[in-house]
Amino acid sequence: MDKSVLNWLQRTAAQSPDKTAYSDVDSSVKFSDVLKYARSVGTAAAKRNTAGKPVAVFAGRSCLTPAVFLGVVFGGSCYAPIDGKLPKNRISRILDNLDPALIIADRAYEESISQLALDCDVLFTEDILDVPADEELLSEIAENANENDPLYIIFTSGSTGNPKGVVTSHHSLMCYIDAYSEVMGIEPDDVLGNQSPLDYIAAIRDIYLPLYTGCSTVILPKEYFMEPARLFDFMTERGVTAVGWSVSAMTVPASLGAFEHGRPEHLKKICFSGSVMPNRCLRTWQENMPDAMFVNQYGPTEATASCTCYRVTEKADDGYVLPIGKAYKNYRVFLLNEDNTATPPGEKGEICVSGPILALGYYNDPERTHKSFVQNPLNKSYNELIYKTGDIGRLRADGNMEFHGRKDRQIKHMGHRVELDEIESACDKIEGVDECCALYDSENERIVLFHSGAANVRDIASGLRKDLPGFMVPRKFIYLEALPRLANGKTDMTALKQRMK
Amino acid sequence: MREQILEILQELRPDVDFENETALITDGILESFDIVALVGELSDAFGVELHVADLVPDNFNSVDGMISLIEKLRDDE
Repeated sequence: MDKSVLNWLQRTAAQSPDKTAYSDVDSSVKFSDVLKYARSVGTAAAKRNTAGKPVAVFAGRSCLTPAVFLGVVFGGSCYAPIDGKLPKNRISRILDNLDPALIIADRAYEESISQLALDCDVLFTEDILDVPADEELLSEIAENANENDPLYIIFTSGSTGNPKGVVTSHHSLMCYIDAYSEVMGIEPDDVLGNQSPLDYIAAIRDIYLPLYTGCSTVILPKEYFMEPARLFDFMTERGVTAVGWSVSAMTVPASLGAFEHGRPEHLKKICFSGSVMPNRCLRTWQENMPDAMFVNQYGPTEATASCTCYRVTEKADDGYVLPIGKAYKNYRVFLLNEDNTATPPGEKGEICVSGPILALGYYNDPERTHKSFVQNPLNKSYNELIYKTGDIGRLRADGNMEFHGRKDRQIKHMGHRVELDEIESACDKIEGVDECCALYDSENERIVLFHSGAANVRDIASGLRKDLPGFMVPRKFIYLEALPRLANGKTDMTALKQRMK
Repeated sequence: MREQILEILQELRPDVDFENETALITDGILESFDIVALVGELSDAFGVELHVADLVPDNFNSVDGMISLIEKLRDDE
């Protein structure tokens, strides 16, 4: 039995050493070189006694990035990928929580890293890819590893203003990749088109499916998503057969009229996730790609990217309700009422998940971990942790689940999870803002901020940009003399929702 | 036309100095969902139809690029 993703890498590198594992627009790397680079990076990291502590990785959309992640694992650590383009304040908060043993960064991030107050070493990728591997050191680390060791820590929006680091084990990741490759029928000759940022949860498929199945991943340049004609041509040129994209990556080309120009000719397997797929968009794709398989996936980072999936067999006419489907292999998904009793079929309840795919919790944050990962209230007999997603679902008579929104103020925007509270807490810190309230205008896919006080739109927008990732900065600002209040003093959200229209 | 485009852009992204930016796409200042919104706004405001072939960085990197794109589209009609 495999106890680590490194077993997958070693096996595939032995079977297909000269096959391309990952490529980007300029270059590519074969499986044997991924293994070689990863062992070098692992040796360099382990010599700095990183084992057992996380290593933060700042890396771009390069075909070498997966090798750096795997190198950290060879060194006995888990990796925490961080987007080096995030505002400095946010990176600092992430690093405070993470307390990494080491940072490994592409040279391109040297300047932004030099502005951070760090108490750990920094190594640059370019300097360590050819370090001679220390066989003895690496095998000792491998012997001490087990499948429940953390593999990665991925940070996501937290309502208090502090991002949460979701820790996932090798075992959970391996369960998910196995289940996904079965549903999507991923074969060694498939070519995956990566859209997700490599530091984001959705990228785990594009990073690990090649190691598991021997297929290959093309990292699509981010800017091509603004030039959909070029994107589709590039996908055809590189023979992309399968994608796992965010819904917004599907809606952007569809609404920009990309199919007027052509289509990705070899694409046959399409999985989308991250938010609710609009029928109009799905229909456009179905009409233009009649031979492709479409799969709707649902699930949070805390359950290793997913919970359920649904293979779409119907045409997405107006009024069609696209289900989120049934649990993947090794996932148990069920509904609970507010009072912790089982929700009967046909009624709405909170979507809960259990199984070996549950994350190990939030890094260095027992309080928030214990709040979200709890003993299954329906099981009084033995330990069974569940994760309460905060999402509302309804089980149909045919056994498929439907998604019915959130219990709280979390939204999905452009494939990212956003806590509206976190935007408000960042906004409260800006001088001249008296009151504020963030809402989501789902029809126009934009975050709207109501604000009062002397600060003008430019002050607020640029203030938020120092603290939040770009996708969390509201795109519409509405000034009010004062926010409307309910009798109990709380903000009158219903009135604000009216104002938004 | 310049004033009207600037107004649309300011509304879309109040934090960006559109008068002086000349690499809105190339430097990743505008994101893909900004472009979707922008394409809709420009089509409505100027009564032109943008096609997928018009979506290249030169046309959106600067306000001047957008002006020439709209003028070209109007001439074609």
